Amino acid sequence: MKVELENLSKRWGNVYGARGVDLDIKDGEFVVFLGPSGCGKTTTLLMVAGIYKPSEGLIHFDGQVVNTVAPKDRNIGMVFQSYALYPHMDVFHNISYPLKLQKAPKAEMEERTQRVADMMGIGHLMERKPAMLSGGQQQRVALGRALVKEPGLLLFDEPLSNLDARLRLSMRSEIKRLQLELGITSIYVTHDQVEAMTMADRIAVMKDGQLQAFATPEELYDRPRTMFIGGFVGNPPMNFAEVAVSRRNDSFHARREGLDVVVPSDRGEKASASDKGIMGIRPEDVTIADEGVSGEVFVVEPLGRDHLVTVDIAGIYVHVLADPALGLHIGDKVKVNFNTSKVQFFNPETEQSLLWA
Amino acid sequence: MSSTTPSMTAVLPSKKTRLSGHILAIPGAVVALISFFLPWLDYVANGTVFLSLTGREAASSPAITTGSGAELFRATPTAYLVPLLGLVVLALTALAFWRGYVTEWDGFALISLGIVTLIFVWLQFTNAQELADKANTAVQSGYGLIGVYLALLATIIGGSLHVRTATERKPSLRGLLSAWGFMSPGMLLILVFFIIPVIITLVLSLTDLASSNFSEPWHFVGLDNYKRMFSDTFFPKILGNTFRYVILTLGFFNVGLALVLALLTTHISRRAGFIFRILWLLPRITPSVVYIVMWRRFVQVPPHGIINQFIGWFGGEYQPYWLNEAPWLFVVMVNGFVGASFGMIIFSSAIEAIPKDVMTAAKVDGASALQIIRDITLPLLKWPLLFVTTYQTLSLLVSFEYILLLTGGGPGLYTTEVWSLTAYNRALATYFGSNQWGYGAAWMFVLVVIGATLATIYLRVFRFDDLVAEPKIDVL
Repeated sequence: MKVELENLSKRWGNVYGARGVDLDIKDGEFVVFLGPSGCGKTTTLLMVAGIYKPSEGLIHFDGQVVNTVAPKDRNIGMVFQSYALYPHMDVFHNISYPLKLQKAPKAEMEERTQRVADMMGIGHLMERKPAMLSGGQQQRVALGRALVKEPGLLLFDEPLSNLDARLRLSMRSEIKRLQLELGITSIYVTHDQVEAMTMADRIAVMKDGQLQAFATPEELYDRPRTMFIGGFVGNPPMNFAEVAVSRRNDSFHARREGLDVVVPSDRGEKASASDKGIMGIRPEDVTIADEGVSGEVFVVEPLGRDHLVTVDIAGIYVHVLADPALGLHIGDKVKVNFNTSKVQFFNPETEQSLLWA
Repeated sequence: MSSTTPSMTAVLPSKKTRLSGHILAIPGAVVALISFFLPWLDYVANGTVFLSLTGREAASSPAITTGSGAELFRATPTAYLVPLLGLVVLALTALAFWRGYVTEWDGFALISLGIVTLIFVWLQFTNAQELADKANTAVQSGYGLIGVYLALLATIIGGSLHVRTATERKPSLRGLLSAWGFMSPGMLLILVFFIIPVIITLVLSLTDLASSNFSEPWHFVGLDNYKRMFSDTFFPKILGNTFRYVILTLGFFNVGLALVLALLTTHISRRAGFIFRILWLLPRITPSVVYIVMWRRFVQVPPHGIINQFIGWFGGEYQPYWLNEAPWLFVVMVNGFVGASFGMIIFSSAIEAIPKDVMTAAKVDGASALQIIRDITLPLLKWPLLFVTTYQTLSLLVSFEYILLLTGGGPGLYTTEVWSLTAYNRALATYFGSNQWGYGAAWMFVLVVIGATLATIYLRVFRFDDLVAEPKIDVL
């Protein structure tokens, strides 16, 4: 199912839950709404589901405006953070409830319910009540219930947030694989940028009710259009420092107190158009080296494969992903090298990228 | 699922423990059965009924030969069997408690049976002559009923006062003391405001205490009051009235209308719903007398009365005295308008407590508003429905003030007189000339029995244990 959102807004009095959201979701696409709490992603999702009535704007399903269509007639399936299972029904009745409402024949209902339950790996738990299931099992039941009527659109509202870290990881890959196999258009709301990066075909980044960007994970990661996206996407987050970029001889230099790095001329040229800029660079693009900018180790956080080292460079804290073999300790004097081919520049006032229009 | 948590098994005692608990409960059941059926057995065996035939009485009763203990025992099995069994039960119970074999549920039932048996014995010894004079089948089966009833009551109370699970075989003295310590305030309240009044009522109901003979010491008259009650000409009428009153008011108003109001006020805007509910609370906070005066204004003798005036304005000829014409309609409405608000409050807060996501899920799954109410809301209201039905049944059974004020039980003889009103009239009103406290207490005590029995049945039907069961597994 193709989904188009056209200038979609939700307003309560003067408070906007979502404001002017324009999105164009292709058939079979997996789209993630990403943003911090209160950014309007769930509001937008609930408008797509038909629970909230849009204050302005249109929602199209396959070209048809569905603004006034009741949720039950939208042919959607939905999965919730709280699972939202019916506590008084066992697994079978939870999953088959949408079919029961469609008045499907009994044999067909049982067959389809069993098939979906088997697909979700909960076929043996049919008689259990939700209270007797673990969180992961409950979420599988919820998924099964959303899938059983073979909806045109699947909506996920932070479905993995209540699960523990390990389970979240495996459910993440399962959902992604399931979506690929079934090819159902999906909208997935999350505040977890890792989930967004790993699962999405395209990510819609939202902030304060507005759409910040709608792009593939790679594009968001490599070419963030705003400082917010740069800081929100990627973990550990991007380092920012206010610098002045200027041309000296043949090369461009980004400078501030205690810091002077040469940046590639294509990026430097664009950045130097503004007399002040905020330089952004990801921790994996900063290395501890023999030569480079001087700093002092402020804190070391072992992550296992890497150490996340915070280096104090003349008053700014820069996160560096460093090799544990270096054996760094707090207070060590180090030299830091910047891989400036990946460096980003943002306008300090508008927070828009100076590199990517 | 890799492992089940131990809490799953810790909730219940082991099968073996439970089994031995139930086996130990058997003597209690036997006592109850015997005290119930023995009169008939006795009757069949001896051609007459011997009640409370202790040695003292046997001597004065020409029907029975005096003689050795063995002869007496043969002639009067009732007198020895029941107390003997009672003592056995008490001993077994003490043993079972000491060994930690029984849950409180069984234990309380056993203890209470023992106590009832001892009361039985005491009554026989203290009051043998009067009892023997009035002995008949009904009397004996009445005692049996009381025994069974008290056992039931104790079972309920025992079940709710769950001190410890039977899995801990020998609880430490300290643990027991702190458990009982924490329960003691609640138990004290139950004792002072429930158990003791019930016992006083029971004792009173066995006496002839009345204003007409208040100057003399009271006499125990056995089950005379009960006999008199059950053989009253108007007894079936009053019983029927009580059923009609409770069922109609409960069905149409206290549960029915309450549910409708709760559903309506939770499906409109929050503020409007709130205001609407406040309005429905007005009858409840209006003083009874004022409230009834208002209703009487409505249904006054023609041509007065607000309803009749309206009919007159619209040119209607039919202007009856409504209270005489349809007394039940108004008795039920007057009580129902007050009663509905209680259920309404309970139901609407229960509806609002259903997670929003569950409602959203049902909408997305394709349910219409009515289907959501049928499939989601109502099933999730099971517990509040049980609570309101039970609570309101019991409170309707004992409520009579609106009827007293509105119709006084009339019009005519006993038209709208319900059980509790009769009890009030007999005991406390100068009805037919005297306050018959003993007789009224008998009416009241039977009402207590009915109430407790109904509560037990409700709990069984709604499978109370399942409703309060905890979720058991929390790992994958």
